[in-house]
Amino acid sequence: MTAAPCTTGVPTATDVPTATDASTATCVFAVCRGGDPAALEGMPGHEEGARVRLLPLGSLTAVVQDVPADRFSEEAVRERLSDGAELERCARTHHAVVSAAARCAPTVPLPLATLYLGDERARAALGKREQHLHAALDRIEGRAEWAVKAYTVPARPDAPAPAGKPEGPAAPASSSPDGPGSGRAYLERVRSRKRACDLRQEAALRAAERVDTALRGLAVAARRLRLHGPGPDRDRRTQMLNAAYLVDGDRDRELAAAVGRLRQEAEADGVRIEVSGPWVPYSFVDGGGTGDLGC
Amino acid sequence: MNDPAGTALAPAGTRPPDPWDAPASTTPYGPRTANLADILERVLDKGIVIAGDIKIDLLDIELLTIRLRLFIASVDTARKAGIDWWETDPALSSRAARDALAEENRQLRERLEALESGSSPAAAPGAAGEPAGS
Repeated sequence: MTAAPCTTGVPTATDVPTATDASTATCVFAVCRGGDPAALEGMPGHEEGARVRLLPLGSLTAVVQDVPADRFSEEAVRERLSDGAELERCARTHHAVVSAAARCAPTVPLPLATLYLGDERARAALGKREQHLHAALDRIEGRAEWAVKAYTVPARPDAPAPAGKPEGPAAPASSSPDGPGSGRAYLERVRSRKRACDLRQEAALRAAERVDTALRGLAVAARRLRLHGPGPDRDRRTQMLNAAYLVDGDRDRELAAAVGRLRQEAEADGVRIEVSGPWVPYSFVDGGGTGDLGC
Repeated sequence: MNDPAGTALAPAGTRPPDPWDAPASTTPYGPRTANLADILERVLDKGIVIAGDIKIDLLDIELLTIRLRLFIASVDTARKAGIDWWETDPALSSRAARDALAEENRQLRERLEALESGSSPAAAPGAAGEPAGS
């Protein structure tokens, strides 16, 4: 009895009301299988549109919203997504609907702003990908995505090179060419500071790799996402790992325990671990868990 | 009490320092504390792509990178966003791609000039398209 009960006995395409109206576009958030997505009907979607509704697709159900076509034309959407506040609103709305859907049924998210000129177009396009969607659903059903990021904690400015004092009262200039005030000694200090920095960086990288290895062991699939560059506020942390793990629903406690342990270990290497989740498996619906996006 | 969303929102006042502290079983999906960068990273270029009728090339929105960075800079929840993954990757940023193109054009022009002035007799005309790995 797990087959989609609410996709049966639907009106035929010709009965679908108003949806092919040229002034209305169909925005698709996600595609679900089975479960009880009826609870989604009526939830708010994008501000200018109607309430969220379900569009039956044979064995699947799309979660859609009618939106005014003029506000969702290519130009209008481009304009809107170029505005930070609007982009955030759209992204959060999309995410909210996708997450709500995933609470009701196994759900494949579609990218933000997937728009069709009407239900029929949506039905045709999604119908063509039915097998692909089923495969994705098979992969993610009962699983969640966890995001794990690791950062180096900036070295304290007073954490000096192992040999000698950092700077400042670097001993009175000595006349000896090898004395502590000499150019050679200065270069040596600079070099050893650089060495210490490199060593810290290497240790941090190894720590991040250990985290990744350990978590891959718990996950069904894993992906490395693009590393974020330095933050806009001159945040001095450096991201060493940006990964997503697809984890069985009944292993989240295990994952939590592992992260707790890894966090302590990594701390010693100056690495901090951040975890967020559970996410709808956005990163695992488009064809497997092997595609690394590089670092 | 059949309000899972309400349950999930409840701890907002006493926001847990880490999502792990929230009872996972009551918040099945979509961490409420999710920062914008995490969401954008997932919503924009993940998920199954089934091209819509209205083509929005999300990765070609050049203004986005500029305005978004300004925007992010002003939002403390997105402090750690480091959102420039948009900007530095030619695959993601039209600007970066264009810069690469401009650079290639420049090299080709130089090459052409060199050929026309006869200072590089060894280069066959057919090879002009290769920027010679510089």
